[in-house]
This record gives sequence, C-alpha cells and structure tokens, in this order.
Amino acid sequence: MLRATLRDLFAHKGRVVMTVVAVALGVAATVASLIVSDSVSMTLSHRDIRVLDGVSVPGGDRDRLAELDGVTRATGIVVARAGLVGDNGKLVAADTLPEQAGTNWDDTGRFVLVAGRAPARPGEIAVNAAVGIHVGTKHRVLLAGGKRDNPTVVGLFRYRSLGSASDPTPVVAHATSTGDYSRVELTTDSPDKVKAEAQALGYTAETGAELSSAAQSTATDNADDLRETLLPFAAVALLVGMFVIANTFSMLITQRTQQYALLRAVGAHRRQVRRSVLVEASALGLVGGTVGEIFGIALGPLMIAVLRPGQEIDYTITPLTIGVGYLVAIVVTTLSAYGAARRAASVSPMAALRLDATVTRQARNRRTAIGLVAVAVAVTAVLATLDPAADTTARIVAIGGAIIGAFGILLLAPVLAGLVLRPLIALARRAGPATRLGVQNAGRDPRRTAGTATAITVGLGLVRAFGTLSATLTSLIGSADRANIPATTTILEPAAGKSAALDASDLTAVRSLPGVTAAAARTALANVNGTVFKVTAIEPSALGTVLTPQLTAGVADLRRGVMISRNQAAMMAVRPGSALTITVDGTAIHTVVAGVYNATELQSSLYFDVSLAPAKLRDRPSMIYAAGPRAAIEAAFHDRPDVVVTDRDALVAADIAEQALAFVVIDAMFGVAIVIGVFGVVNTLVLSVLERTREIGLTRALGAGRRLVRRMITMESLVISLFGALSGVLIGVGVGAVMQHAMLGQELLAFTAPFDAIGLSLPGIVACGVLAALWPAHRAARTDILAAIT
Amino acid sequence: MVKTTIRAVGLTKAYGSGDARVLALDDVDVEFEPGFTAIMGPSGSGKSTLMHCVAGLDRPDAGRIWLGDTEFTGLKDDALTALRRDRIGFVFQAFNLLPTLTARENITLPFDLAGRRPDPAAVRSVVDVVRLGDRLDHRPSQLSGGQQQRVAVARALVTRPDVVFADEPTGALDSAASAELLGFLRGSVDELGQTVVMVTHDPAAAAYADRVLHLADGAIVTSSC
Repeated sequence: MLRATLRDLFAHKGRVVMTVVAVALGVAATVASLIVSDSVSMTLSHRDIRVLDGVSVPGGDRDRLAELDGVTRATGIVVARAGLVGDNGKLVAADTLPEQAGTNWDDTGRFVLVAGRAPARPGEIAVNAAVGIHVGTKHRVLLAGGKRDNPTVVGLFRYRSLGSASDPTPVVAHATSTGDYSRVELTTDSPDKVKAEAQALGYTAETGAELSSAAQSTATDNADDLRETLLPFAAVALLVGMFVIANTFSMLITQRTQQYALLRAVGAHRRQVRRSVLVEASALGLVGGTVGEIFGIALGPLMIAVLRPGQEIDYTITPLTIGVGYLVAIVVTTLSAYGAARRAASVSPMAALRLDATVTRQARNRRTAIGLVAVAVAVTAVLATLDPAADTTARIVAIGGAIIGAFGILLLAPVLAGLVLRPLIALARRAGPATRLGVQNAGRDPRRTAGTATAITVGLGLVRAFGTLSATLTSLIGSADRANIPATTTILEPAAGKSAALDASDLTAVRSLPGVTAAAARTALANVNGTVFKVTAIEPSALGTVLTPQLTAGVADLRRGVMISRNQAAMMAVRPGSALTITVDGTAIHTVVAGVYNATELQSSLYFDVSLAPAKLRDRPSMIYAAGPRAAIEAAFHDRPDVVVTDRDALVAADIAEQALAFVVIDAMFGVAIVIGVFGVVNTLVLSVLERTREIGLTRALGAGRRLVRRMITMESLVISLFGALSGVLIGVGVGAVMQHAMLGQELLAFTAPFDAIGLSLPGIVACGVLAALWPAHRAARTDILAAIT
Repeated sequence: MVKTTIRAVGLTKAYGSGDARVLALDDVDVEFEPGFTAIMGPSGSGKSTLMHCVAGLDRPDAGRIWLGDTEFTGLKDDALTALRRDRIGFVFQAFNLLPTLTARENITLPFDLAGRRPDPAAVRSVVDVVRLGDRLDHRPSQLSGGQQQRVAVARALVTRPDVVFADEPTGALDSAASAELLGFLRGSVDELGQTVVMVTHDPAAAAYADRVLHLADGAIVTSSC
C-alpha cells in the first residue's frame, strides 16, 4: 500500500513539482525568518557587554559618591552632543544619536584602543573605529550650545557598553570632561551595599549584575520583536502554498478515483486509503521541506543585508530552526491534503466500474452558507464601527471583521467563479475556437478554477490591502502637514532623523535673527489620564502663526489649557474644560482642555504650553518652526550639517519617500505569495492537460493545430489568473479601506485607492498568466494523437 | 448435501427518482451454490446490480444477504471491507491492477492490506494455476490484456475466498485469451473447489458454468443447469 503510494508519486514527479515548489517557498520564508532573528539575537547576546564591578548611578554627584564606604573608585561619565563631521561635510552616520555621541576618555575598560593612542589634551579626540575615520586627520565636531571644535583624531576605539540605554555607544571621546556628568560608575567589592548607600542619598542606582541581566533580556526582546515582524510574512506564504497543495491533491485523487475504488473493492479500509494519501503528502512535504531549508539558509544572508544593512551579524542556524522548517512543511502539506484524503477514502468501490467523482452537493452548500455568514458578519462588524473616533476595541473589531470577510469571500470563490464564468462562456461562444475552448475549460469546474485562483487572490489581496493603506497614508501625510503648517513657515529639523533632537541653543540662535520669530515643538511620549501617546510642548505664540491647526471646539490658547485632537478627545471622552494629567519625563502636569482641533493620527495628538514642561523636555526641541526671512536662517545654519533647514512641502516630500520605502519592503515579502500563486496556476494547468490527454488528442485528430491547442491552454490560464487578480484587488482594496479606517482613524470611504499600482498589477498578472501557460501549453501541443485516442 | 455459499432474500434496488426512476432489482430471491454460476441477461437487466449487491460493493434498498452464516445487511463499512478482503475475490472487466505495483505485488495486495504476510504456498499454487511464473516481476503496462486478467484471477483466488465474483472478465479480451481465462476459472472450481459467480452477456462464456441464471427487468427469469 505504502509502496504503491510512493511509487505512484515518483512515477509522476511532473505532477507534483509545483506542489514541492509551493511547500519549499513557504518553508524557505519560515526558515529564513527564523535564521535572521536567531542571528540578530545571537549577535546581540554575543556583543562584548561590559559587566561593571560595582554600581552605576545616573545623574549622580561624583565627589559625593566617591566618599561612600567601600567605593574604591568613582568615575564620572559624560554623555553629550558631538556631531562628527566627515570629509564630505556631512554628519558621519552612526547608530547613536548626535546628542548622545560624545563622552570623556577614561581607563575604566569602557574603551579598547584599536589604533593610535588615547587622547591626552584638549584638541585631541579618539573616534569609534566603526565610523571609518583615520588616525591623524582633523575633523569638525559640533558640540552643545552651538559650539564647535576642530580636533585631531589621535586614536580609534571599540566601545564596550553596559548594554543599557544609560550607556550609549559614543562616536567621539574627548581628552577632558566638563565635569557635567550624566552618570557615575562606582568601583567596589560590595556592590549591593554601595547601591543601598547611593539610594539612601536619593539616587537611583543599579549594580553591574542587574545591568547586564537587563541588557541580556533587552537583546532577547529585540530578537523576539524581529521574529514577530518576519513570521507573519512566512505565514502568508505558507497559507497561499496550502491552497496550491490542496488543489493539487484534489486533482490527483480525482485522477486516481479508479485506483482507490479498486483498492476499496479488494478490501482496503477507508482509513488505509486516507492514510496512503496523507503519507504521500508527508513525503512531498519532506522533499519540499528539504528544498525549502536549503533555499531558506541561502536566503538568510540576503535578508540580513536588507534588514540590518552595514552591521556585522553572526550567521546562526539552530537545530530548532531546521526542526521547525520540517515540521511546518509536513504539517502544512498533510493539513492541506486532508480534505482530498477524506474524499479519496469516500470513493465508492463501485467507482472502479464507472467513473464519476464530484463533491457532494451538501458540502458545497455548507461552504457557500459559511461564506455568506462570514461576509454578513464582516459587513455588520465594519458598519457597527464606522465612527472614525471609535476606541481601540471597536478598531480591532473592524479589522477582525475585514479579515473574516476576506475569508468569507474565499469560501464563496467557487460560487463567484460560477457566476462570473457562465456569462463569460456565453460571450466566448462568438470568439474563435481557442478562446471558446479555453474559457469553457476554465468554466468546466468552477471549484478548481476558484481553488487555483485563490492562491493569487490571497497574495495580490495582501499587496493591495497594504497598497491602499500606503496610498492613504501618503495622501494623509501631505494633507495633514498642509492643513496645519503655513507654506511660508521655515522648518528646522535634525539631520540625524526624527528621533534625534536639536540643541536648545538652536532655538535661541534662530530667534536672535532680525525679523524672525520662532517656536519649537518638543515631542515626547506621555501618559495622559492613563493613555500613552505622543504629545508636543510648544510656545503658546506658535498657534495661529507658524502652526495653524483647525479648531473644532474651544479656544486655541495654550495659556488656558491644552489643545487635543478630535479623535483623541473622543477616545478619552474629554471636551473643553475637562481636567487632564500629563505625565512626561517623570513630571506630572495638571491642566485642562482648552481646545479641540481636527488632525489625523499621524500628528501630535496634544499640544501644551512649554513653560509647564520639565527642563529636560524643554531643552530637547524636535523641530523648530520659524517665520521670517528664510535666507537669514539658512545663512545662520549653512555651516551646521546636523541641522536641516526646510519648509512644509519639502518635509512632506521627504516623509512620503520614507514611508514609500517601508512599504516596498512589505510588498516584496508579500510578492513571494503571488509567485507561489502563479506556480499554482502552472500546476493546475499541467494536471488538467494530463487529465484531458484523450480530449486534446481528439481535438488534434479532428484538425486542431498545435498553435490552437497552445492558445487554448493560454486562454484558460488567463481566465484563471484574471479571476484571481480581480478578486484579489477587490478584497485587497476592501480590507485596505477598513485598515486605514481602523489604523489611521479615517472615515471608511476616505481611502485612497492605489490606482496606478492596480493598473500596473493587471498587465503583470496577464504576463504571469501567459508565462504560467508556457510549459503546460507546450505539453498539451505535443500530445500524441494516436496514443490519446486508442 | 449441497452447502449454500451466498443467499439473498427480497433484494430491491432502484436508481434515480421520479420519472427517471429505474428498478434495477425487483424483490429478487437468489442462492449461489458451490461451483460455477453464470448470471446472464441483456443490458439493463440488473445482472451487474445483483452482483454488486451480493458481493458487498453496493447496498440494496431492501432485502437481506448472507455469506455462509454472516449477514451483510447492517454491517458497518469497516466490517464489510474486511469481509470483502478476506472472504470474497473480484475480477473486473478492466482496470483490475494498480499500475505502480508488479504482478506479484498486485496478487498479494489483499494480504498487504490486511497487514499479513502472504502464504507462499498459496501464492505458488495460484500462480501455477494461472501459469504466470515468468511474468511476476513485470508491471501491468508490460503485460498483455490476457495476462493482466490472469493476474487479476490470481489475486482473486489467493486468499482462498468463499466466493469469487467476476464481472464480464472477458469483456475486453479476444476469443483465444477469453477461452484461456475461462479455462482458469473453470480449473479453479474443479481443482481448488472454488465457488465462482460470473456476470456475462456472452453465451460462449456462460457455457463454462455449471448453472446459468437469466435476469430480465430486475427479476430472475430462469435458472438452468
């Protein structure tokens, strides 16, 4: 029995090649994702973490702490702004933000000298070896307070961080320190005692052991986050693969109906037949899994290069990864083949004598019924949560509804295929013979056509759903900034990116220019009445001048309270006059709502008076908005590569380009799903050509040329692919509309359809359909007339 | 005393519904005794339906069937499957063999399905009877139609079933191969004491049988010896 199964499998390798490809691609995606996250995790945990023999006290007074009992040494550590300017006049790229990139040299073991010597006097610096600067060169360094220095690089170092946020990896180490320490390291034999003493003085203090275990768990969390980001893509590839596998097996067992019937007649139990199909599936899973493992292992370095460019990563393959790859391969194939296995087992022994194998009407009705219920549930869920200001639960319900709806439509696919194909067949009657026969073949079994098309539908649907989200986001970025910032406002932002900050002195410098008024936005995550979101501290004078939010209620006066966005106000159920407590940087601010403004959720949801903000936040401007002659501002900052002087429209363009790049990566990953879907079409066509050998032979005998046969198969391929593509685009735009509604707090119908991308994908799918038909059409055209009809 | 192998009472089976309803078997009582029985009748007379029902391949709408002391009616699928495997042999008109198995593996398939080791003596004796010695390691595609049917007969005989059912076994063979195959079936009755029930529409084939049942319109018309 097992022998018969496996021999049958190997005798017809051609029929299952695409199934193997589908399994392999899904497994490759899984294995590569695991390898990437394992490698990153391994690299992080193998980092040269320095374990402090003592206690670290952030914000401590060195001289006072040095007096503590048991302290043998107290080292003050500076974390300060240091923008290292490269030969090209731009900031040297580094992982550390410029405002944290400077420190003072010491011999505590923080630095490992790689080249040159330690800096010994003012005018000398050592530079992190990773940034690629040579010993002996002179480089400009931009310091806090708008100061600058032009020191000589005398040494290169490798930094051994404690692995905590309080010990960022510096780019520049100066010979001396200002004495303004952000952290004090205490060397001691009894860290616990010293920690208690420091705490008694009112400091927060952590021992070296605590820091290193925290560093380890941060590394693990980072790797877990990465894994959770990557695995959904692998899951999608596997899901699409499942449709291909299920379809293949469904066709294989139809072809073998007589064999199963014979087995049943001579005494094979149902479960023996079922098991033989599942064994076959496992064997395929094993082969596909092996190919996938190899492919995934090869793909890993490429993904690391894309996701973590310029970083040295220890390439790590664990036995667990290999095991999971095989497990996924076998579980996915057997699960997908299970339906087919059950149908094989239910073949009547009588079918050995006459051939008809169709799905029972009841099963089909049940499938349709479940599909209709799912779509109804989806429509209800989405309609019930139409309010853009709905709370998080409602948003999750909306997204859940959209997903259920998508599955419902997939279940309805055979019925939809029937509905679409019937008029198409009628239409094709008037066309040439190749079109007529091809369309009829596609319409002969709507279930199979739908099953094949579904793989494309899922892949394209996902790409289009995210495409709709991305298109909406793009138009939002533009409209939000345009609505709130006057075109004449000049904007200054840090060159190192949105998470970096400008220097407090920059605001003073801008304001001191003649005829220029300016305000600075200091954005931070804050806890407002128990909800955490981004808030912005700004000068009250900014509103109505350099920033013009559209007021919907209350007054736009920050001296009388905060301004809060409409969606956020609705979610928190506050209105002008409501009391708020904003906790930011450890300081609680008690205030009230003064006004409500219209905003998208990309912007800050709350503005408050900067005079209420703690000093630490006040001195960290994220962005400066200025009114006045731009030329003067540009002249003042022309020598500051760490500051970008721009305006609203340039800012919008840069933001759009940045998020488009992020979506390109997402599209590429879901693209794998479309590739698998196209392989599924090839698979179905090859099997249906084999199934119809006699029929095609007869057509040839009756005078159809090879060209006509090829065109017939191509037409069938096009009908299947286009059906999949159209349902994919419909599902995708629908789900995308709900996603932008739920994720961006927009009106449901306020989405932007990515028409240009849809326009591009349709010819793309047509090309794929033609390509997919190449091999099957070639096989069909080669059908031996005599062998087919005798 | 003649022992009854298969007995059926009140067999009724209809296909279709409404105007399209066809009564394939109409309250048929029948007994198959040891020896060689042929069932004859024109197309649509119900002869195939009768065989399918008494062989446990199909379930009648009404009536009861016994194989020896075992009653079929009401048996679950698993029990019925085991019964077919161990106590009944089949030869069909065509498509009797699994294409991926050799002749020998096809013959021992019932043992394989039951999870038993084939009895070498039994295999040797049926192989001798159908004279297949030198073709045992060939695949069905490498055998002629007549040879394929002989493999099927060998498989039907190998478990020493209570009864072998043959459904138009010579339908796809030329006259020489037909005569040879019928000779083997006859031989199994005479030499091994096998009970054989054969459905055929060919009077020449029926001539090999000990008894002939004639069916018309779902009922037995005559029974002759």
